[in-house]
Amino acid sequence: MIIAGENMLTTAPDQSRRTFALLLVMIVGTIGIVFMARWLDSRRTKPDPTFEQEKLYVTGQTVRRLSLSFNGLVADWYWMRALQYVGNKVLNTPEDVQFGDLSQLDLRLLAPLLDTATTLDPQFMEPMEYAAIVLPEVDMQEAIRITKKGIAANPSAWRLYHLLGYIYWRQREFQAAGEVYGQGATLPGAPRWMEAMKARMATEGGSRNLAREIYTRMYEEPGDSKVKEMARRRLMQLDSLDERDEIRRVLSLFQSKANRCPSSWREIESVMRSLRLTLDSTGAPLDPSGAPYVLIKANCDVDLGAKSEVGFK
Amino acid sequence: MLGRIAAIAGNAFREAVRDRVLYNLVLFVLLLTGAAIFIGELSGGQERKIIVDFGLSAMLLFGVFIAIFVGVGLVYKEIERRTIYAIFSKPVGRGEFVIGKYLGLCLTLFVNLLLMGAGVSLALMYVSRGWEPLALSIWPAILLIYFELLILTSVALLFSSFSSPALSALLTFFVFIIGHFSSDLKSLATSLGGTAARFFFRAIYYVLPNLANYSFITSAAHGQRPTAANLLAAVLYALIYVIVILAATTLVFSRRNFK
Repeated sequence: MIIAGENMLTTAPDQSRRTFALLLVMIVGTIGIVFMARWLDSRRTKPDPTFEQEKLYVTGQTVRRLSLSFNGLVADWYWMRALQYVGNKVLNTPEDVQFGDLSQLDLRLLAPLLDTATTLDPQFMEPMEYAAIVLPEVDMQEAIRITKKGIAANPSAWRLYHLLGYIYWRQREFQAAGEVYGQGATLPGAPRWMEAMKARMATEGGSRNLAREIYTRMYEEPGDSKVKEMARRRLMQLDSLDERDEIRRVLSLFQSKANRCPSSWREIESVMRSLRLTLDSTGAPLDPSGAPYVLIKANCDVDLGAKSEVGFK
Repeated sequence: MLGRIAAIAGNAFREAVRDRVLYNLVLFVLLLTGAAIFIGELSGGQERKIIVDFGLSAMLLFGVFIAIFVGVGLVYKEIERRTIYAIFSKPVGRGEFVIGKYLGLCLTLFVNLLLMGAGVSLALMYVSRGWEPLALSIWPAILLIYFELLILTSVALLFSSFSSPALSALLTFFVFIIGHFSSDLKSLATSLGGTAARFFFRAIYYVLPNLANYSFITSAAHGQRPTAANLLAAVLYALIYVIVILAATTLVFSRRNFK
């Protein structure tokens, strides 16, 4: 049979052979491409870390102009890049770094990335929230600037006032924090606790109770899941600090009576039960993450266990 | 007259379908599915915003490519194939031909955007596992995209009436870019010292389409809608602009000699 087409003399078996040969070339070629790509990847030298840290030369305003109508999409890209940047830093750090304690990482690009994302899309709340919660550990002034920029773009968003108040509170500028909470409290839709927070900043700025209140609000408010997780961990830390204070009191009392440190948790088990602490089968008190506290007999003290997820000592 | 315009428009639409212009929908669906499934995971819980940004931006980008590349070929292909002689041997005016071709491409873009918009809405409902208010609130932004494309199509048609397809495509693309920098042109006009320069840039600002009026994608991703007055004004602006450009196209086209 003769096939009509580019070559009138091509017969059906010829055509099949040619198709088969072409398919074979395509398959073998694809395998070759994969193989070569892997071989090249394995021999590629690691990029200079300084390149990765190279600052962003194009400002947010310029990117906004260049992005035409696509500024929202470009803002998403910068936001995802910020998340990837922090994520890669955490993964490439030997120690297990917890969210909310990123000061040990060199995150110098985080502020410009979040700044660009929020300049491109001034109503994009998540980067602003991230800037308010994470950035203070890296660059406090940039965190304040980005959050203030967010407030200027969204003057009716009480949540941004809450975040700015939180930054000031972390900086121990309780008066400024109180003022910001006061401003936020006057906005329509602001919860009543914003007004209460203003008063508490003035009277008990550095207290643990106020810290618990702030993190509880952050945890309860609908928002970014990472912020909620950070608030949950902070609340665990606060609970753990309270528990350790209680345990230290018990240890001190035991030491003053017996003139020695307890040899094991068993010796003070009943007292700790009366304090409503959760104990394991050995009588050791459990921290909020469920890991047993460690008794340090040398100086009759208590500490977090190695498996604790509370995070900070 | 309307019957002749409708016939030319219908033919232009059928030609676009035959040229597989709507195949871009397949690519769009693949992009959207990828965005919904993969990029959403990287966004820290911002799947809906990403889908709206990604979907509407893709709609605009695909639409711009169709408006430019199909638009510049509408008239040129008829001249190149010499089918224009057959058309003009019948009682068809040049204005009717231009308007018919334009409306045919508008219909193609309409079908394209309608299907893409439905795809974005479905993707939003998929990630929300049910009804999602954004699925409805994005439609005014899609309408604005459509009117932006109508302006761009008319510009492409105008350039193609006196220039080659490649140059027409390039010039239309420039108009698209400059159209989004209109506010800069205006501020440039006010900041310049010389009266002539000020007048020149102000004239360019008014002559070129202000496409920033149609940029509502970012706000739409936050569930916002343009006010009725703004929407109406933008639509009216587009219609007036298109009428002016089509009149100019007809004027240029009617002076062309096909002998």
